[in-house]
Parts: sequence; structure tokens; C-alpha cells
Amino acid sequence: MPPKGWRKAAHDPVATQTLVLDNGAYTLKAGFASAAAAPTYDDCKIIPNCIAKGRDKRVYIASDLDKCTNFGEMAFRRPVERGFIVNWEAEKAIWEHEFSEGKEGLRCDPKETNLVLAEAPNCPVQLQKNCDEMVFEEFEFATYYRSIGPALNAYNDIPSLFSDSAPPDTSPLPPECLLLIDSSYSHTTITPLYNGRPIHLAIRRMSVGGKLLTNYLKELSSTRHINMLDETYLLNEIKEAVSFVSPSFKTDLERTWKGGLSDRREVDPSIVLDYVLPNYEHSAHGFARPHDPIKARRKLLQPLDGPREDILPVGNERFAVPELLFTPTDIGLQEAGLPEAIMQSLSVLPAALQAGMLANIVVVGGNSLIKGFMERLETDLRQLTPTNIPLRIARAPDPIKHTWLGGARLAHDRDLLRGVVVTRAQYQEHGSTWLGRWFAGGDALKGK
Amino acid sequence: MPHIEILPNTGAAPAPGWAYVPDTGYDPSKVAFNPKDRKRQAARLGGMPTGLELSARQLTAVQRRIAELERDNDARSGIEIPNKKTTFKTSATKKILLSAKEIRHWLDDEDALYTNKTQAPGGGARAITSRVIKPAMGAKGRRATITPRALTPAVPAFPGSTSGLQDKALEIRSAVPAPLDDEKLQALLAAPPLPYAAARVGPPGAGAPPQRLFCDTCGYWGRVKCLKCGARVCGLECKGKHDQSMCTRF
Ligand SMILES: [Zn+2]
Ligand SMILES: [Zn+2]
Repeated sequence: MPPKGWRKAAHDPVATQTLVLDNGAYTLKAGFASAAAAPTYDDCKIIPNCIAKGRDKRVYIASDLDKCTNFGEMAFRRPVERGFIVNWEAEKAIWEHEFSEGKEGLRCDPKETNLVLAEAPNCPVQLQKNCDEMVFEEFEFATYYRSIGPALNAYNDIPSLFSDSAPPDTSPLPPECLLLIDSSYSHTTITPLYNGRPIHLAIRRMSVGGKLLTNYLKELSSTRHINMLDETYLLNEIKEAVSFVSPSFKTDLERTWKGGLSDRREVDPSIVLDYVLPNYEHSAHGFARPHDPIKARRKLLQPLDGPREDILPVGNERFAVPELLFTPTDIGLQEAGLPEAIMQSLSVLPAALQAGMLANIVVVGGNSLIKGFMERLETDLRQLTPTNIPLRIARAPDPIKHTWLGGARLAHDRDLLRGVVVTRAQYQEHGSTWLGRWFAGGDALKGK
Repeated sequence: MPHIEILPNTGAAPAPGWAYVPDTGYDPSKVAFNPKDRKRQAARLGGMPTGLELSARQLTAVQRRIAELERDNDARSGIEIPNKKTTFKTSATKKILLSAKEIRHWLDDEDALYTNKTQAPGGGARAITSRVIKPAMGAKGRRATITPRALTPAVPAFPGSTSGLQDKALEIRSAVPAPLDDEKLQALLAAPPLPYAAARVGPPGAGAPPQRLFCDTCGYWGRVKCLKCGARVCGLECKGKHDQSMCTRF
């Protein structure tokens, strides 16, 4: 038998290579997939999805930032807001920089390339239309499939996430039930999928994502210690380095309190840290070390000419910040925390599906890497579910690239790919309104 | 206009600028509210935190803070694209590329669209409540950063979405769930995506613990309330710092 896709090679509108793009607000996850080789995480590149301007007025586009060593007061322009591509002027500059003008790696000719694009759920229809028009009219991709990110995850090998003994599954057929939690930069979303099809009425979104957590840490550090309002990059770095989800918030809050005037307490040195800030002359990144009250006090006595050390003390901020994923009301945000949000989503489903979903929860997105996140989620969720219901929760091995990998596995299977993409000729014939309806009404398995 | 009720303060007695307050962070009895008290219930659904008594000014402050935390692009960005091209392949992409609309504009457009739909004659459905407290905003006005969306979960006017969910216990509690009804399942799978506002997670259920309050100065429990501005602090030491530099009542 000839390889798939061979037959019509001469007139096949579906190109050989596919650019799979998870277009996140913070980073692009991008890489090529083809029928030739099964994709792996290594085929995915992470690229900052921003245009940044440093203190020295130098402008960096997307992957240029990899060469940057001075992030002081760096300002960012992000084309994606609330998870959706809003500013196409900036996004186009970034896509062109990475895909059309890029020297190596992801350079491609869109006319010879299929595009599989992941979008966030519940995107306003007008923004989807803008996206479709840009893809076909400005970039002129050969074929195109736009899908919500959670649905692409269904093409991943789900059974092996739950069991070490399960043989690796190369078939991209989706499991019957999948509850996909995506806690990333813009928000945290909950998507139940049945045979790979998202159940739209049950998709729920929390406003808390990595962006809100970084901004919160920035706010707390600025009101309590040093003004860091222009140091988004640094605060994100600190958040990633020191934050953890507390298994017992109240206990940890006690352990980090200095006590009252009349009952001084020792703060727990295993939690309270000093974060040594980078000065961007000798160091591009900071680091954390145990809190040293003497050094912290000596700060003011440091010589003006010698190397100075600026310290940001971090105590309860380490766990009070990611706590917002579980208790958004801590900042007055009237939303349920993640475990209860999951139950809100499930309550839309028929009873017969609820148990199946609870036994197949997969977590993706960068926030799931915060220490203690998975443990807390499981503990809290267990308390909300009847004990006779099995609960299985797994985090993807690489939660940041996992959505991309699902899309790449779809693109690797030419028959599946052919079933979902729309060609440029079809778009030119039917227009963008038709295309929007096709993607909205269609699911990944349409036509199968 | 938002329905904002100024509720009496618990410790109204004149005090030296601060008062110990009942710790709403712990007491489960504070969760309960009188279900017959419609006004309070409405206020609560409109974004008033459970068991908290916030003045209109405090509520605005909370909204502004959340809007600030949700901000995607910082105000000072204004970064121009180097070597910007000014050619466009089609009129459609020209319009898209020159658009200066931000996400809040797109979401407002979507809200308006669905509000009109649900207010169609005979529909009888509610408007999305978040629109009700929308401040008048100019396209470029400063106030526009305070989106009501930040605080108020929209009550979606869609069947099967969050509306009314809080009372519904998971059906899963029955040991043997009803078998899957294929017709119902197909209808569920065929349902189109919800608009952005309707997919937002609802507030915590009635059984959830009340909102916790923290010291503005150090992050420990906010056991003491500043009578000038309503902020919480943990004790006299932090109250001193608060008075020096953080008290917003001026
Ligand atoms: Zn304090
Ligand atoms: Zn005050």
C-alpha cells in the first residue's frame, strides 16, 4: 500500500507539512507535523508572544527576547488578550518574524503549509472571523483548522497518563470521557469532552490564570516592600521560582506571621525567603535564599560603589498568590475556586457522564506546575465527590506543550487532518461566515 | 444604576480609628443570610461578597483592583512595531490590521448582541446583568478600565448554563446513574458554544465558607478594621504602618 496522502499528491490541496500553533497569550507553542514521523514534545518550540521594549528603548520581537539579558522595566505589548488574538497588527509582526522571516527552525511558506490553530474556548465570533480572514487572506495558508485547545488534547495518548503499565498508544482516537483542565496564562478553563467532542454548554472559565497571579504578586510586593509595578518580567520569574500551593493555608499563614507587638513569633525559615533581585549588570536573573533578618537589615548600610544587593522578602505571598486558583474570593473575585468550578461544569452533564469525567481528569497549562497544585486539587475535589466515585487526575508530562502535541498528533494522521481542514479554495468559494459556522458546528470527527 | 446598598457597620461606636471586628474569615454561622431579604440577596448576586458589608466606594475599589489584576497590556506599553508594513492584501485584512479595538470592546459588542437577542419580543429572558452596572464610558476614557465583568458574574440567559446551578446537587450522588439517553446526549453535543460572559464560573455555592479577609499591610488575617477607610489589618503594629502610608481615606 502506498503511504497515506500519496494518491492525490499532484492535486492535493492538503499540503505535506502542517504548522501546529497553540497561540497563547504568553507564549506561542509552535512546530511542524507531517505524516512522516510521529510528533514529540521536542518538535515544539516555545516563543514569547509579545513585542517588548527595554529601558534602553530597544525593541524585541518574540524570540528576539531569548537574547535579552536586561529585563529591567521592560514593557510588553501582547496581541492576545483574555486568551484571544485581538491585536492583529502585533500578532502579524510576530508570526512573520517567526514563520516567514525566521532564519531557521519554523520558517515556512504558508501557501505550502496547513495550519492547525488552537484557540481559547468561548471566543467572540467576530474575533474568530478576523482570525479566519487573516489566515486565508493575509497569510494565505493552504488549508486551516481552528479548534479550541482542549479539544486538541483529546488526540493525545490519554490512557498512559493514568497508568504506567498502559502501552504507549499511537492511535489518536479520543477517549470516551475526558475532563480537560487548562490552567494557563489568561485563565483556567474546564472542558468536558465526549469522544473528543467538547460539550460547549458545560465549558466553564475562571478569571484566575498565570497573568492574574503575577499581577497579584506584583501588587503585594509593591504595597508591602518595594515598588515593582514596572517589573512584570521579574515578578513572573519570582512567582515561578518560589510559589507553592499550600496543603493547609491556615497553618502556613500562622507559620509566616511575625506576631503581634506583645507576642512576637519566629517566622518559619523554611517558608520565608529573601529573593535577591538581579541588577542586570552582573546578573540577569535573581535567586532565592532563606530569609536572613540580619542581612535584610544591613541592606541600607551597603556601600554605594561596591556591588549592592537588593532583596525582596517573600513570606505568605509564596502561597497566598496561587491560593487564588482555589479561593478567588480572597481578592473579592466572586467566582468559585477550581474544585467547585469543576463541579459546576459537571452539573450540566447527564449523571451517566459525570462519573466518567471524574475518572478521566487531565490537567494542562503552566499553573499546574506550581508545587502542590495537583495534590491540593485532588484533595479538595475528593471532598466534593462521593467516596464511591473513582477519581483519577493526571498532569500531562509537559503541561505547556501538551495541547500542541494533541494538535500535532491530529496533523500527523492525514485522514483525520483531511477530515477537519478547510482549503483556501473552499474559503474563497464560501466566505468567512460559512467558515465560522463550519468550525463552530463541526467537531474534530466531522465527516468520519 | 447598580443597586448598591450601604449597610450599617457593626461597630458603629466611636473608637480611636480602629475596631476589632467579628472575624468573618472563620465563623461558618455568618454564611447564612436571610433568604427572605430580597434586597440583600440581590446585592449579593450582583457581586456583593457574602457576609461582607461594603460601601459603594469599597465595592468600586475592589472592582478597580480586580480590573488591574486582569489587565493584559500595561498602560505604558505603546510600543510601535519596527519596520511596519503598510500594505494589506485585502480590504478585510486592512480593516483588521488597522483596528485599535481592545478586548473589552469586543466583549461589550458580544454582550450587546446577546442582550438584544434575549430581549426579543416574547422571549421574556433577562438581560445579562453585568450590563446593568456598566459605568458610562468613552472609548478612551480612564473609567473604561473598570469593567463590571471583573466582579459580577453575568447571569447567562442560556439553557443549561450556570443560572440556577447553585442549588442543584450533582446527580452523581445516586449510586446507579440513569443510563445515557442518546437523544439527550446528541442534543447536548450539538449545542453551540456559549458567549464569553456566560461561560464564566459562578460564585461559590451557599455552603462555601465566607470570604476571608487579610491584613492589607502584611497579609495575615485582617482582624482589625480601619474605621477611616474600611481596610483590614492584623493588629496595632500594622495599623500604625497603615495610617502612615496606606490609609486611603483622606
Ligand atoms: Zn499585618
Ligand atoms: Zn485606613
